[in-house]
Amino acid sequence: MRNVETILAQFKEIAANPRQAVADYRSETGKGAIGIMPIYAPEELVHATGYLPVGLWGGNQSINQARTYLPPFACSVMQQVMELECQGAFNDLAAVVFSVPCDTLKCMSQKWKGTSPVLVFTHPQNRGLESANRFLVEEYTRLQSRLEEITGVKISNAALENSIRVYNENRAALREFVRLAADYPQFVGAVSRHAVFKARQFMEKSRHTALVRELIGALTAQPLQPWSGKRVVVSGILLEPDGLLELFDELKLAIVDDDLAQESRQLRVDVQEGNEAPLYRLARVWQRMYGCSVATDTKKLRGKMLIEMAQKTGADAVIAAMMKFCDPEEWDYPIYFDELEKKGVRNLMIEVDQGATSFEQARTRLQSLAELL
Amino acid sequence: MYALGVDVGSASSKAVILDRNRKIVAAEVVQAGTGTTGPRRVMEQIFSKTGLHREDIVKLVATGYGRMRFEGADRQFSEISCHARGVHYLVPEARTILDIGGQDAKAIRLGNGGEVKQFFMNDKCAAGTGRFLEVMARVLETDLERMAALDTAADSPVSISSTCTVFAESEVISQLSHGASRENIIAGVHNSVAAKACGLVGRCGVEGTVVMTGGVAQNAGVVRAVSRELNREILVAPNPQTAGALGAALYAWDDARRERGDETG
Ligand code: SF4
Repeated sequence: MRNVETILAQFKEIAANPRQAVADYRSETGKGAIGIMPIYAPEELVHATGYLPVGLWGGNQSINQARTYLPPFACSVMQQVMELECQGAFNDLAAVVFSVPCDTLKCMSQKWKGTSPVLVFTHPQNRGLESANRFLVEEYTRLQSRLEEITGVKISNAALENSIRVYNENRAALREFVRLAADYPQFVGAVSRHAVFKARQFMEKSRHTALVRELIGALTAQPLQPWSGKRVVVSGILLEPDGLLELFDELKLAIVDDDLAQESRQLRVDVQEGNEAPLYRLARVWQRMYGCSVATDTKKLRGKMLIEMAQKTGADAVIAAMMKFCDPEEWDYPIYFDELEKKGVRNLMIEVDQGATSFEQARTRLQSLAELL
Repeated sequence: MYALGVDVGSASSKAVILDRNRKIVAAEVVQAGTGTTGPRRVMEQIFSKTGLHREDIVKLVATGYGRMRFEGADRQFSEISCHARGVHYLVPEARTILDIGGQDAKAIRLGNGGEVKQFFMNDKCAAGTGRFLEVMARVLETDLERMAALDTAADSPVSISSTCTVFAESEVISQLSHGASRENIIAGVHNSVAAKACGLVGRCGVEGTVVMTGGVAQNAGVVRAVSRELNREILVAPNPQTAGALGAALYAWDDARRERGDETG
C-alpha cells in the first residue's frame, strides 16, 4: 500500500501539470479535452462523450495581454483566464462549456480570445419555479446537441446515466475525504488538501475517485493525533495560489471544511436517482444548490450554513476568502458577516488574487487571527 | 531587565523599551521603513538615547510589515495584536482603533479587556493612507507638518472623488488650475482620507471610545475630518506612531517575565 505522502505527491503532480494530464488522456483514449468554465456546468454530459472535461479556473501568472480586454477591476480569476486565452493556452480544447451566472462571465463568454468553439448556456435566475427546470432542460438539450456535433459522439441515455453515477461516486468520495482531512491535519495540510481538489479538474472522474479512495485508505490506517493548531472553515470562490495556502500550514490553521466554489460547492448536490429523464435530473441540481453567491437565494441562507459548518466541525473561525473584485461574493459578504458576528463566530476576511506573488497582507491578517484565537 | 518592541513599517521604523515595571523608558521613530537602513538606525538611536545595549534586553518582539525580515527578534507578532495591546495600555477605555500608517490603514474593535474582537485592513491600494497624503503634499508644494495648519484656514473644502491615488493627484492638479485655494484642496484631501479610513471602521463596527494611531494621526486635519465623518470625538494616542512598537514591547515584557519568573515582576 502506498503511503499518504506518495499519494498526495501524485495529486500535486497532476494539479500542477494540466497540459500533461490532457496529453496523457489523449494518447490513452484517442480523445481530446473540453474546457469547463467556472462555476457550474453539467460536466456529466461532457464526460458521456468520452472527452476529458477540464476545469478552467485561472492560473498564477502576471497579467499582461488580458489588460487589453478587461478592466483592472475584473475579478482576478477571469484576468487569469483571459491571459491564458490570449496566449492560446486553450486552443487545443475541442470546445469550452461556458455558464454565465455573473456579469463578468457574461462578458467573458462574448469575447473569447481562443479558437475553440464556446458553448454558452444560461442558468435561470429563478430557482423556484418548475418552468425554470424545464428551461434549463432546454438549455442542456442544446448543449448536448452542440457537444454531439463537435465530438461526433451520440450521447445515449445509458452513457449519461453511467456518467451521472461516476460523478455522484466522485462527489461522495471527496466529501469523505473532506471529513477525514479535518481529522488528520498533520497529514493533509492546506496545500495538499487543495491539490486533491485541483487534480480533480484535470482527471477523468472515476480515476480521480480511485485515487481519492486510495488516499482515504492510507489516511484511516494512521492513528489520530491531537492537533495543536487552530481549525478554520474557508468560504469564497477559491483559495489559491499555493503561497497563500502555505501560510495556513505555517500558522497551523487547519482547513476543516470549505465553502469554496472551486472545491466543496462542487460536491454539495448530487444528481438524484429516479425515473425522470437524466437531463431533467441534471437540471434539478441547480434548484437544489444552496449557499452560493451566484445561485439566487431569496432567503439568504449562506450565513446560517457557515455557522452550522463551523459548529459541526468545531472550527475556531470562518475565513472569507474574498476573490478580488468578485461582485457576487462582495454582495453576500455583509449579510453573512453580520450573522457570524451576531452568533459570536470569529471571522476574518482575506483577499484572494490568483496572480499574487507576495502575501504580506494576508500573513498579517492570518497571523492576527491565529494570535487572537 | 528591559523589553524591547520594534515596529518595522513600510515607511518608518519605531522602537520602544520598557523597564521591569512596564514603564516606557524610551520611544524612537526613524522615517525609513523595511528594506532600508531604518530598522538598524532606530535600534542604534534607542540604544544611544538610553545608554542601554542589546545584552540588557531580555526579550525583543518585532511587528509591522517588515517583522519577518527583522533579524534578532525573539518573536514576531502581527500589527493588529500589537496596536491593540499598545492602545489598551495607553487608553484603557479605547474600544475602536483607527490606525493609518504609511501604506496601510486598519480598524480594530476591542473588547472590554483590550482583546481584539474584529479588525479590517485596507486592500487593493494605498488610497486613504499616509502615502496618499505624501503624494498630495508634493503636488500642493507643502509638507505633511504644514497640512494640518493649512486645513484650518479652509472655508469651502473641495471634493476629491477619485479613489485611486494617481487619479486623485490629477484631480488636485485640475482643481489648482481652476483656482481652488490650497487650503480648500488640503481640507478636501483630508476628508477623502477620512472617508476611506472610516469605511474600514464602518465594516468593523464603531464602539465606545475611538482612538487614532499611526503617523497620520499626527495630522490634526485628518483627525478632525475623521471625527466629522464618524460624528464622534476622536482621541489621539500619545505618541501615536509608536503604539504598535509599544504593543510589541508589552509582548516582549510578558515573555521576559515568563522566562525570568518573579525576579522581573
Ligand atoms: S463569480 Fe466572481 S470570481 Fe467568478 S467569474 Fe464572476 S466575478 Fe469572477
